[in-house]
Amino acid sequence: MANLLTIKDLSVRYPTGTLALDGVSLSLAAGEFVAIVGPSGCGKSTLLKVAAGLLAPTEGSVAKTSDHIGFVFQDPTLLPWRSVRKNVELIGELRGMSRDDRQKAATEAIAKVGLSDFAQDRPSTLSGGMRMRASLARTLITRPELMLFDEPFGALDELTRAKLCDDVQTLFVADQFAGLLVTHSISEAVYLAERVLVMTDRPGRFAGEVPVPFDYPRPPDIRYTPEFAKTTAGVYSLLQPPSTSEDGK
Amino acid sequence: MSRRLKDFVAPTGVFLLAIIIWYLISTVVIDEGRRFLLPPPDAVVRVAFLDPVNLKDLLAGLGLSARVALTGLVLATVIGLSLATVMSQARWLEKSLFPYAVVLQTVPILALVPLFGYWFGFGFESRVLTCVLIALFPIVANALFGLQSVDPALHQLFSLHGANRLTRLWKLQLPSALPAIFTGLRISAGAAVIGAVVGDFFFQQGQPGIGQLIYIYPRRLQSEMLFAAVILASLFGLAVFWLFGLASRRVTAWHASQEPNPLSPGGNK
Ligand SMILES: Nc1ncnc2c1ncn2[C@@H]1O[C@H](COP(=O)(O)OP(=O)(O)OP(=O)(O)O)[C@@H](O)[C@H]1O
Ligand SMILES: [Mg+2]
Repeated sequence: MANLLTIKDLSVRYPTGTLALDGVSLSLAAGEFVAIVGPSGCGKSTLLKVAAGLLAPTEGSVAKTSDHIGFVFQDPTLLPWRSVRKNVELIGELRGMSRDDRQKAATEAIAKVGLSDFAQDRPSTLSGGMRMRASLARTLITRPELMLFDEPFGALDELTRAKLCDDVQTLFVADQFAGLLVTHSISEAVYLAERVLVMTDRPGRFAGEVPVPFDYPRPPDIRYTPEFAKTTAGVYSLLQPPSTSEDGK
Repeated sequence: MSRRLKDFVAPTGVFLLAIIIWYLISTVVIDEGRRFLLPPPDAVVRVAFLDPVNLKDLLAGLGLSARVALTGLVLATVIGLSLATVMSQARWLEKSLFPYAVVLQTVPILALVPLFGYWFGFGFESRVLTCVLIALFPIVANALFGLQSVDPALHQLFSLHGANRLTRLWKLQLPSALPAIFTGLRISAGAAVIGAVVGDFFFQQGQPGIGQLIYIYPRRLQSEMLFAAVILASLFGLAVFWLFGLASRRVTAWHASQEPNPLSPGGNK
């Protein structure tokens, strides 16, 4: 299958002089779900921003076969003056969907994430998990071919996280977008992705890749199987520095 | 319910107390020969508000000043928002325009009133010009701050989906700047009223507004009228301020500033 996203030898240096990424290559096929884990500050968000076209590479190349991208940020980033429904319609508006299509798609997306009863409410009256689900619905409305998730559940409690994780999987199975998920949680990465890429400390490079041997949809209790534990351990060993590292942080 | 009562009773009590103190000072503390310094409230009401001829003079003056203030405020709002929008589009535009807004704020506009009189005559236009110049800076400064304080993640969201400048301005920057814009408007509304009243005072010519009345009455020793004029001018200022507060609460109901005060216990009941 043709690659939806191809990144070759990407390096990014910020104007402040920080080298965030150093020679990263990555490819993502249509309909594939890949997770990226790595230490804090290693350039994961930077990588997603470059993939989205929000940041230009300093060196290397980024090729996409589609500009139809959804980006779920770490924070819900909803417009506080709009209701949930109007927030979900926003991306449809920006992408020039007709009013009817937009409204129909919004109703559908809101139902998918289970917020139908709260469609008219403002974000400030929702819980953190509900806001994140509204943000998910907003991203889904135009049915993007590539979904980028930047630690989407980082600020949530364990239970809500697990629930949202399942929601993402359900949506992935239903909508068949390609997904690139940045997360701090190894088990989340293994639960959702077909392969897990492990990044080194800054400047970020890929330390290795761990394939995940499960088919979709995956039941929640797959997390307790020995196979799952083995995969998780594989990711964990890649995260450990190979020898004594020179700098601590 | 008792909260409601407290919200109503306490301010009313303070108001009555102020009236009583005023009354006591003008009847007990000041002797009769010097009572013109502070005429008692009942005299002010009788002479100024119950005498139709006097009342007509006052209302005519107030009406003129109100027209000046509101025209000035509307013009200042239109000009101010346009300037802020232009400045928010590029750093170089801001750098080349904002200094002049600051100059406006630092030049004593009222001291220029005689100059405006020379240039544009001593009528309505000059008075409005004074008001506009006085009211402009708070609107420009606050609106610009609001337009520039948008969450960068929201900007990225708009970039990601190919929003152009106009869409970004209309759907992102202006709505998120509304609380700041209204803060500026409220300050400017107060400034416009002061500009209209005090400007009128300085013009000394043309049809008299409330400012000129405040200048004339003490020279005629009409101290009841003087007090009535001052009270009307203040009430007008208050009304404008209150109106903008109300509009602001309507328009920015989503903003954190409209949440119950976290410092007052039981405030979220
Ligand atoms: N706008 C910026 N300007 C300058 N340096 C930046 C900028 N954004 C990020 N950096 C630097 O680039 C490096 C990588 O940042 P990035 O946000 O990509 O890390 P991350 O892997 O997403 O970290 P985390 O897991 O904590 O979110 C960091 O050292 C950071 O200080
Ligand atoms: Mg990050």
